[in-house]
Amino acid sequence: MTDVTIEQLGRAPLHVLELWGDPKAAAKRVAKALGHDLPKVGKAQGNVLRLSPTTWLVEGDVTAPKQTLGDGGALTPSGGGYERVRLSGPAWRSLLMEGGLFDAESPAFGIDSVVTTPIDHIAVTLRVESENACLAYVPASHAVDLLRFWQLSAGGLPR
Amino acid sequence: MKLIPCPHCGNRAQAEFVYERTADSVVPLDAEPDAAVAALFARANPRGVEEEIWRHTYGCGSWMLIRRDRVSHAIEWVKPLGPEALP
Amino acid sequence: MNAATINFTFDGKALRARPGQTLAAALLDNGTKLVGRSFKYHRPRGILSAGVEEPNALVTVGTGGRTEPNTRATDLFVYEGLVATSQNRWPSLSSDLGSALQLVAKALPAGFYYKTFFGPPKLWLFYEKFIRRAAGLGPAPTEIDPDRYATRAAFCDVLVVGSGPAGLIAARDAVHAGKKVILVEQDAKLAPSLLRDPHEIESKPGAAWAEDVAAEIRANGGKVLTRTSASGLWDDQFICLSEKLVEPGQVPANGFTQRYWHVRAGEVVLATGVIERPLTFANNDRPGVMLSQAVRTYVNRFGVVPGQRVVVATTGDDAYLTAQALRDAGAEVVAVLDSRAAPAGQDSGFAVFNSAVPVTAKGGKNGVTALVANLGGTERTFACDLIAMSGGFTPLVHLHMQAGGKLDWDEAAQAFVPGASRWNVRTVGLAAEPAPAETVGATGVAKQAFVDFQNDVTVADLDLAWREGYRSVEHLKRYTTLGMATDQGKTGNMAALDRIARREGMTVPEAGLTTFRPPHTPVSMGALAGLATGEHAQPTRRPALYDLHAAKDPIWLNAGYWKRPRAYPVGAETLAQAGLREARAVRSSVGMCDVSTLAKFEVQGPDAVQYLERVCQTSVGKLAVGRGRYTFMAREDSLVFDDGTVWRLEENRFLLTSSTGGASRMATWLSYVRNHLCADLKVSLVCVQEHYAAIAVAGPKSSAVMAKLTGAESPRHMSVVDARIAGIPAWVMAASFSGERAFEVHFDAAHAEAVWNAIEAEGCTPYGLEAMELLRIEKGHMVVGPDIDGRLTAEELGLGKMVNKAGGWIGASTLHRPAFVDPLRKQFVGLEAIDGGSIPEGSMLVRWIGGEAEGHVTGSGLRVLEGGSIAIGHLKGGHKRHGEELYAYSPTRKQKAKVRVTSPHCYDPAGERYRD
Repeated sequence: MTDVTIEQLGRAPLHVLELWGDPKAAAKRVAKALGHDLPKVGKAQGNVLRLSPTTWLVEGDVTAPKQTLGDGGALTPSGGGYERVRLSGPAWRSLLMEGGLFDAESPAFGIDSVVTTPIDHIAVTLRVESENACLAYVPASHAVDLLRFWQLSAGGLPR
Repeated sequence: MKLIPCPHCGNRAQAEFVYERTADSVVPLDAEPDAAVAALFARANPRGVEEEIWRHTYGCGSWMLIRRDRVSHAIEWVKPLGPEALP
Repeated sequence: MNAATINFTFDGKALRARPGQTLAAALLDNGTKLVGRSFKYHRPRGILSAGVEEPNALVTVGTGGRTEPNTRATDLFVYEGLVATSQNRWPSLSSDLGSALQLVAKALPAGFYYKTFFGPPKLWLFYEKFIRRAAGLGPAPTEIDPDRYATRAAFCDVLVVGSGPAGLIAARDAVHAGKKVILVEQDAKLAPSLLRDPHEIESKPGAAWAEDVAAEIRANGGKVLTRTSASGLWDDQFICLSEKLVEPGQVPANGFTQRYWHVRAGEVVLATGVIERPLTFANNDRPGVMLSQAVRTYVNRFGVVPGQRVVVATTGDDAYLTAQALRDAGAEVVAVLDSRAAPAGQDSGFAVFNSAVPVTAKGGKNGVTALVANLGGTERTFACDLIAMSGGFTPLVHLHMQAGGKLDWDEAAQAFVPGASRWNVRTVGLAAEPAPAETVGATGVAKQAFVDFQNDVTVADLDLAWREGYRSVEHLKRYTTLGMATDQGKTGNMAALDRIARREGMTVPEAGLTTFRPPHTPVSMGALAGLATGEHAQPTRRPALYDLHAAKDPIWLNAGYWKRPRAYPVGAETLAQAGLREARAVRSSVGMCDVSTLAKFEVQGPDAVQYLERVCQTSVGKLAVGRGRYTFMAREDSLVFDDGTVWRLEENRFLLTSSTGGASRMATWLSYVRNHLCADLKVSLVCVQEHYAAIAVAGPKSSAVMAKLTGAESPRHMSVVDARIAGIPAWVMAASFSGERAFEVHFDAAHAEAVWNAIEAEGCTPYGLEAMELLRIEKGHMVVGPDIDGRLTAEELGLGKMVNKAGGWIGASTLHRPAFVDPLRKQFVGLEAIDGGSIPEGSMLVRWIGGEAEGHVTGSGLRVLEGGSIAIGHLKGGHKRHGEELYAYSPTRKQKAKVRVTSPHCYDPAGERYRD
């Protein structure tokens, strides 16, 4: 009676984008290259997730933003360090409450919300894809442990 | 476990944060030797209100200054630290 | 017993229970009065209460790995096949040899434990064996718990603890106000007080009304959790709940036996109610002496009448309801002893005696037979088989106080009630407004009158402690162990405070109260562990090459949370043999080692050099693009805490590596420096520890191997080139930690296996951490932890010549503290064994056996090719002591070796082997 599916998606090309100095000007240039604004704190847009006040995680090709970045910031390859896991089905929010600290059941955590929070002591970055699915970026070294935790926990969720 | 109002993320569980040090124990890069030694080894450590540096390590990773009563645990205010950031 | 449908056993005896009964109710139903033996004196004990406050009826439940000791029979609902066993008795409950202790009770007074400490040590050793055998609770289970425990977070606007009328109404009000509500009840049924005292609420039978309110809460998105105990309340309304999904010892359907909730609530409403206090008289702990409300609960809720000839002893009105319930159930109420001179309007038809208090209960392990009472000055004995007592009510203020709340004194109720709260916590119902009662002092022989039943603390113990000068309740508690049992003194604390206050000639609030600490009721260890048990007790970090290593079945080493190969034994090789073989392969040919766990940071930006020259004690800006160097980092106190390498990949792009073990500390430190000390710099700092896998290729043939793999000339020592290995882009960095010509290959961890396999196919011998240790110790390379331990300066570590003379690095301003010029500060040295023998790791360096320690051995190894024990260590003034002979001595391991102080660089000190 598991209402959540745990799907391992593997690695993807990821870069951390960090802006320094006068971030507004660089953000404008990058937005032009991406075709959309850089997402605000706690949000994602397109292939870009906000990680921290000064950093974003960009999935996929970064040729265009790299060209416009100039000396306003840097892109650092990071994809080898993350396992991506999709949690889908009606109980994905409930599953994230297991071993968690963050209110994943809150309506405020809606589509394209992004949060980094520990799940079973492992800091995981979550992106709400739809009401039916959430994408988790899991530190690769912890992935086996966390997948085990999720698979076991999925069997014991409260009704 | 306390709630700490991260300047960027809002109220989050204390377990997502790591305490760094009191604000008066920061040694500036250009500190004179005596001032550096005083900051490291002769802090005020008052009973009560103190300004502390914390980091939202297991969340957004940002740093902040927290003015906190170390007896009642009440937080007076929190200010962001670090380079200029976009909203 | 007509409707008996549930079969269970107690001490192996098959018994039957009715659905909904607690084990205590079922035992009483079966006529069982003797349930356990007391902690210290092995006195026969029965059932005192009908709730979680039970101090006497503790049993062991379940079998095998599901065994749970010290479960309260009053807090356990009977299920088919329940196996319960009494505790702290031998050979059996009814003929317990330990109960002979009652005869020597004089020998175990308050503070007995502490007093034995002051005697000759041998006496304590004698007593200890005796005490450990005699005193105790149920034994811990020896098998692994087969069940799972879930740990879960929840958030709500209002959390209500307790589902009595006050709690249900508070929860319903919150629901009506649009709040998200969680209501918790430790009992299996809602509103247990309405089952004890059935009455209508809002024109509905109480129990039905409670179910309707619960349904309304659920229908509005709230949660109602029964069998859930709120065990602790902390800052900002953080509350922990322990939910029993099945009863202790019961087999759960889906594998989960309990759920531990971490709840953050906007407001906490405590409707925790009260518990009744015992009266303090001689033999008040005998089976058949029960709390008045408990008796009523057994009669009205569980359909069990625990006695037929009953004396009710009370200090307030509530116990008259018990007398009535007993009479309605057909029992004879022999007398009602009311301590008050003129209780209000008791035209009850009972034989009521005013100014009457119990003095001594008669009877033994099979229950009381009579009660000697003081009736306003004259003694009278009542024959009876049950004594129902009520000494007033204690509000359950534990959670309120745990969260920093203050207490007020309610004079009419003679009870502490919740005062100001620190957080958004309020108390409603009887816990805030307990019923009036008066306090009567202890009566009867003091050493037989118990205040703390579970820890066997008597009035005589309190008096003794007081005579010995223990006046503060906090001291008295620890000296007598009052309130320190698993029940936390729920029933006994107030009687004890009353006794002390009377002794001191002060009021109870002046005497004060000890601090309540979580958990309110015991929490299973398994619930705290959650799914983190056995090999999952702590996280395991697997490097990208984990599966590949695992296929080679290596000897693993847990390096922090990382699982790393220590050696790859061939055939029947031991760890030492395999490590030496692997190290020799590196010295004579070529080996390869997974070094992916190294901390790695990419530092980019126009100010990258400026930033790195603050963090690193060496210069960085002088590096040409494509060059790297060894570097090390100091704290503000100028002591070195980590080391690594820094590589200039592009003009404004660097890779900084540092130790595996210090990785998270370094990540925090680098971020701290960037955010606090140079927020204005144009620099990006990203931890890429997991993005890049890294493989070290070392040995005289490594250069040829790399040339073949990359199709280009190998970079010279401390240079880095872009290359492709097996088609995968990689940086090839010529750096050595072994003393040989060596390379580190860094590349996207997603392709780790392809690169490893390509390198291994060139005939490289995989080596693990054991060989790495032998190689680096012989070469005199330090590791963070034992060698770089955060207590030595760069100069003391022998790195003085590499320090950036221009300064500007963190720690420069404190380097010239007077303490650092002390010639007896420790310095990094090498050691070689003379007269054979092996230098024990961690041993101290002394001039003679028994002499003062002048240093210690930080790493012990051997000459890889020639043999012979060598080591590295810290030694006072060591730089100037090369050639001196000392002993490396470990008194704990009874090992020693005669050593000569040397340079730490035992192997190829000139570094000639780095050149092709």
